[in-house]
Amino acid sequence: MLIRSVILGMLAGCLSVAASQAQDTRNLLESKESLYNNIYVYEQGPYRSMTFGHNRRIYTESVYNTRDELDLPVDYTRFMTASVMYAKNVSSILEIGFGGGRTAWYLHRFLPKVQVTSVELDPTVLEFAKKYFGIKEEPNFHVANRDGRLFVQESKERYDIILIDAYRGPFVPFHLLTKEFYQLVKDHLAEGGVVAQNVEPSTMLFDAAVKTIHSVFPQVDFYEAGGNIVMVGYPGDERKPEDLAAVAQERDKEFGFRYKLADMLAQRKRIDIDNGQVIDAKAKVLTDDFAPVEALKTIERHNRKLP
Amino acid sequence: MSAPVSRAGLVAIYVCSFLVGCVLMGFEMLGSRYLNPYFGSGIGAWASLISTVLCALAIGYFAGSAIVDRQPTTRTIGVMILIAAAYMAVVPATADTVMADILDTIGDGPAATLLASTALLLVPLTLLGTFSPIAVSLLTRSAGEAGRVAGLVYGVSTIGNVVGTLVTTFMLIPTIGSRAITYYFAVALAGCAGILFIPFGRKSSRP
Repeated sequence: MLIRSVILGMLAGCLSVAASQAQDTRNLLESKESLYNNIYVYEQGPYRSMTFGHNRRIYTESVYNTRDELDLPVDYTRFMTASVMYAKNVSSILEIGFGGGRTAWYLHRFLPKVQVTSVELDPTVLEFAKKYFGIKEEPNFHVANRDGRLFVQESKERYDIILIDAYRGPFVPFHLLTKEFYQLVKDHLAEGGVVAQNVEPSTMLFDAAVKTIHSVFPQVDFYEAGGNIVMVGYPGDERKPEDLAAVAQERDKEFGFRYKLADMLAQRKRIDIDNGQVIDAKAKVLTDDFAPVEALKTIERHNRKLP
Repeated sequence: MSAPVSRAGLVAIYVCSFLVGCVLMGFEMLGSRYLNPYFGSGIGAWASLISTVLCALAIGYFAGSAIVDRQPTTRTIGVMILIAAAYMAVVPATADTVMADILDTIGDGPAATLLASTALLLVPLTLLGTFSPIAVSLLTRSAGEAGRVAGLVYGVSTIGNVVGTLVTTFMLIPTIGSRAITYYFAVALAGCAGILFIPFGRKSSRP
């Protein structure tokens, strides 16, 4: 019985793979096995996408519109820029997890005077970003090939905005999700600085991540972004909507952002993290000592939506 | 090859063989948790951990075979395991300082990652590596059964390896945290040493 179901399962698996390949109209530009991932770059119409893993359909890392380098086709990448309305000053930005570099490049183009630094672990991802995603080194735009945590640990700089988006694909590096890591990030924020992080909210890892970031940053604002959630964390008191709106309007005007900060502000959500209504009361703060990220990722979240 | 260990001693050695096998691979899995915050979680970290474990085992096997020539007792392996337990017991409190020092002085390349995994794993796992050859010698009563005994000891200890890897990864790390697990491992090893200190009879070489 068991054997039969295993065989049937395998057959079904083969069929679904065959079906998905039959539907695949994308043109594979290049694929490469790197130290960390199996990376594929596809082209379909004007869009190029970078995907990881053999399960190609699921883990899309980055999408680039070859006809419009300022287009951010993936929702959450737009909302990562919401952090700009929180920072007291905007003179330096650090991004951890470059991928195809869309967010960093967008910010660089609209904020040419701002020092944008991005850190990417995988050298092949950087190679592909430069080859297929229109990325190049420019004054005020730098990409470092380094582990994100190591980079922050060794950095003597402070940043007004730190963007964290290093958990894409099937693997979650736990050392970029612990209280110690966020403390390190906080220590590298300039006065009035903020951190923005992309998280995928369908598993219990989300609850743990929220609690962990909240353990270091007393304020966390949430933005729902096409299935993902962007969290913006900052020290001090909760920002008043009217103050944020004023900054958003001023910076929209000053920098001429395509995706208006003011529009994003309308999506802002605040939740009571500790009352157990949205975030599981039993979710634990992740530490370097205790961070079962793989296990948490296998537990589906109950359907507790953001209000 | 006379005066073999008693029946109780035989059971004790197999039980310890299993437990030592569990701790050995369990500690390798834990090694990644100690290393990753400082040296990343890539394939390089794993290559360092795995090669260090295998080096430790190689040294342990050679050392074990040298000890066998000096008429070991169950007490001998008990001492080895006890030192390994003591080493593991100090790891949770000191690992962060050691990792940070290595990172500050050497950086994070292969040399640093190898040094870090060496500092973490080499001593205790080398000591644990001496277990199997000595155990084989203690359990072997005649030259004719040497192969059978060696097969049994390595089989039992390898099953321990498998159990240690899976239980540590899928049950312990998700529930109690790396430092606590390390302490439990130290206690488990100390327990093994305690069992092996019970005098089961001495193995002496043929006069």
